[in-house]
Amino acid sequence: MLEVYVLIKQVPKSHSLRIDKSSGALIRENIENIINPDDLYALELALTLKESYDAHTVVMTMGPPQAESALREALAMGIDDAVLISDPQFAYSDTLQTTLVIKEAFEYLKRYDLLITGSETSDSSTGQVPYQLSEALDIPLITDIFEYKIEGRNFYCQRNFGHESQNIQVELPIMLRVRRHFNKPRHVPLLGIKKAFEKKIKIIDFNTLNCPDYLDGCNKSPTIVVKTEKFIPKRKNQFIEGTIKEQAEFIKNVMKENGIERQWTGI
Amino acid sequence: MNFQLTEKQKLIRRRIRTFSEDFLAPVAPIIDRELKFSWETARELKKINAWGIQLPQKYGGAELDSISYAICIEEIARVCASTALNVTVHNSVGAFPIYKWGTEKQKEKYLYDLASGNKIAAFTWTEPNAGSDAGGIESLAIEEDDKFILNGSKIFVTNGGVASIILVGAKYQKSDGNHGIGTFIVEKEMDGLEIGDTEDKLGMRGSSTTSLYFHDIEIPKTNILGRLDDGFKIAMKTLNVGRIGIAAQAVGIAQAAYEYSVKYAKGRIQFNKPISQFEGISFKLADMATDIDAARLLVYKAANFKDLNRPFAKESAMCKYYASKIAREITQKAIQIHGGYGYMKDLPLERFYRDSKVTEIYEGTSEIMKLIIAQQILRGDL
Repeated sequence: MLEVYVLIKQVPKSHSLRIDKSSGALIRENIENIINPDDLYALELALTLKESYDAHTVVMTMGPPQAESALREALAMGIDDAVLISDPQFAYSDTLQTTLVIKEAFEYLKRYDLLITGSETSDSSTGQVPYQLSEALDIPLITDIFEYKIEGRNFYCQRNFGHESQNIQVELPIMLRVRRHFNKPRHVPLLGIKKAFEKKIKIIDFNTLNCPDYLDGCNKSPTIVVKTEKFIPKRKNQFIEGTIKEQAEFIKNVMKENGIERQWTGI
Repeated sequence: MNFQLTEKQKLIRRRIRTFSEDFLAPVAPIIDRELKFSWETARELKKINAWGIQLPQKYGGAELDSISYAICIEEIARVCASTALNVTVHNSVGAFPIYKWGTEKQKEKYLYDLASGNKIAAFTWTEPNAGSDAGGIESLAIEEDDKFILNGSKIFVTNGGVASIILVGAKYQKSDGNHGIGTFIVEKEMDGLEIGDTEDKLGMRGSSTTSLYFHDIEIPKTNILGRLDDGFKIAMKTLNVGRIGIAAQAVGIAQAAYEYSVKYAKGRIQFNKPISQFEGISFKLADMATDIDAARLLVYKAANFKDLNRPFAKESAMCKYYASKIAREITQKAIQIHGGYGYMKDLPLERFYRDSKVTEIYEGTSEIMKLIIAQQILRGDL
């Protein structure tokens, strides 16, 4: 049976995002938290795999105790089991520290065939963990797949690579980082929600893992948030007149002036 | 006392909201305009167990508590009140009585199909000459050997044109008042059932409302729900449950109108500032928010009493009376806040207004709600 893990993150719902002015960090108390939107595509892929292959699906997250609700939501979608990596020692981990803790978790769990992630989180948008984790675990990472099949220990897929598509054959275990809108995440049945709250969530804390010293405490993260600033992109409106051709010509010139130039093939 | 929803209830609210915004928002204006029940929507609702919200898992239901039920109906109504009506009628006055008073055989026969949404249920009582005077129904089921022969008609039947399983209140002997009434399970396939045309209504136009005509329908005795003379009691108790759903629906409509109003008031600039900064508008919004909160809490209280197996006839009447009243008032205020824009069909405010009105009428008018409340409060000591 395939052991499929989906790595998700709980994030604040975008419209309720607020930043603490003194620390520059996101305020995570008393706000609505959701599953990182990109991760829904990863969950959907795992559920599809479960339907087509003999697979046991597990959702995993690292975060504070309230991240449990994100795991429950994933269980409600139909994921079999859930793992929460949580410990005050892991608070304020940056992407590298997070990666290393998750790596230790997988060393502890031992069996895994497929690790699936979304592309990036909506609250920090680094997209670094999938790449770092594949390095840390020393397993291949494949991004942007659109066709796939599994035969035995072989994973066959097609992936987008710029304007090409690549056919890849690789042996499990592997990591997949799925792109946005890769599939259509399913709606959650009410019965799924009911059952999700009857399941037990496996907790992995600092003491469960055989963590090297450098993994305890926020001060060990190499990244330090010095300051958070609001960035307002400058935009301006301009109305263009004339025939379609004249308007196209005008836009072309504006792009050229701004250094955005490309080979025009069509009209 | 705890005013917090549980994590499960919060998740239900969020996921039903997402579902409603994805699937119901695009069809809501269309089914309203075209006076059409959407089978496609019905199919989508099957996938999320919306047709069996509280039925036991054994029959394929989601077996949720009554507050979760109210949350589901509110969230569906917030986007499409018609769909919420179809769902709540099916669940609370269609499937619920069969679960509550049905024999094991009846449950086995009907509840799987109802919980899955393979079949839709309806509950009928109102007749041309019997509305608030519920005991005045004239449909007649005469006993004949091992069956009853049903004749008569029903009007304003919600889900009338789409239901496969229909609970019918009918007299089995000619008598005055609330006696001699039974509840009969009529199946769509039975000979002698005629479905009238779809009624052209002010609101709830995405719900199928029809008349039903019974021409010598042969109903086997196995299709009597509960004891033969329990008809009136079953109807009243069923409506107590149904009213929680209708009240939740009214809260959902009010919530939608309120959200549109807040958004509009903050963005609409007149006299160089957002109109939300004028008390004429902001006080309206404050009233709306307060009324919605109060109504919602009344709904939750009635739902909670139901789950605790405490009497809840008064609570159910109160929440239905209050929620329907504020829904009508709030949807009207919302149009006022939007001014001319609110009166146009481009925005859904006028639909909310039209949809809200009937919540003061069906499953017992507001006047009947006050009658029930008064009866209950005057019965005992202070």
